[in-house]
Amino acid sequence: MLPERLQSICELEDDVTVLEEGVDKPTVVVPCEHVASLMAALKHDASFAFLLLLDHTVTDRVDDGHFELVYQLYSPVHNHHLMVMTTIPRDEPVIQTLSHIWAVAEFQEREIYDMFGVVYRNHPDLRRLFLEDDWVGFPLRKDYEDDFMLERPK
Amino acid sequence: MGIATDHLPGVVEQLPGGSVLVTSFDSVINWARANSLWPLAFGTSCCAIEMLMATGGPRHDLARFGAEVARPSPRQADLLILAGTIVKRMAPRLRLLYEQMAEPRYVIATGACTISGGPFIYNSYSTVRGADEVIPVDVYVPGCPPRPESFFHGLLTLQKLIKTESIRQPGVRHKPVLSELPDGIKVEDIQKEIVALLEGEATVDVNKAAQAKPWPKGT
Repeated sequence: MLPERLQSICELEDDVTVLEEGVDKPTVVVPCEHVASLMAALKHDASFAFLLLLDHTVTDRVDDGHFELVYQLYSPVHNHHLMVMTTIPRDEPVIQTLSHIWAVAEFQEREIYDMFGVVYRNHPDLRRLFLEDDWVGFPLRKDYEDDFMLERPK
Repeated sequence: MGIATDHLPGVVEQLPGGSVLVTSFDSVINWARANSLWPLAFGTSCCAIEMLMATGGPRHDLARFGAEVARPSPRQADLLILAGTIVKRMAPRLRLLYEQMAEPRYVIATGACTISGGPFIYNSYSTVRGADEVIPVDVYVPGCPPRPESFFHGLLTLQKLIKTESIRQPGVRHKPVLSELPDGIKVEDIQKEIVALLEGEATVDVNKAAQAKPWPKGT
């Protein structure tokens, strides 16, 4: 359900599929190795002009064994939104950084690294953002445990 | 002697060095301290808006109790009002704020999160389970968030608590367990009434109640 002026996204990169069900805004799914090149094209192509990366979030699909990365894009030029999704394996969570395309991604990716432990390749300053530097583990992973946490009684 | 011993009731005590001290100064000092609490607002979440800022506004008016001089600096404050969740990262900073305050210093913890961790007590990697794990707390005001009236009750309880202090034992307070009851009412009466309410019929027959009390004529 891409609007007309976003129809040509699939020609930008290989293996771009449009998600039709369960979404409330235009959504495409790409393999993780194509994310950086697709994003650069989406920003610099004048017909898309996605100048803003509004948000970058992660879902921990622990049962399926992967992380689902979500990028929310917005174009103030054309006033259109796009959601880009990709998956990376949980046991090797590495993906290319987008901080050279949108500067704001530097902090969004630091937050995700802090909470989920996704490693962004070529990130200029990949440190923890909210937690102490000596924190062990990534607390928003579904299988995170430490001695401080209390289990909810059944 | 002079006015100090003739007219002020009190015990004259010998102090080292030969001077004397009138212990009814206690009541004067406590009166002054209790009625001019300068609060430092440590508002970290919703309690700060719903309770703390509301009490500072003109509708509820914290100024009635002499505690309206909100200080953004711990060095000028003597009452620390905790309003909101405290997380591990923030706990050392809270401790630092408390230690910067000049004595005598008092702490009111308001709201479920501040008292115990509240809804974040389970499966949380960061929430401190109660402010008293970090600093000593004098008065707890429960609620989520507490009504401004509950906060005032907590403030008045703290004032009562301050009035039990003595300059001979700084920092030692006798904590009141129950607010003072009005004349002629005992705790047993209240307990009896509550038991009767609980044991009585829990559901009300609306029809019966309506017929027992008919509409007044002319309506």
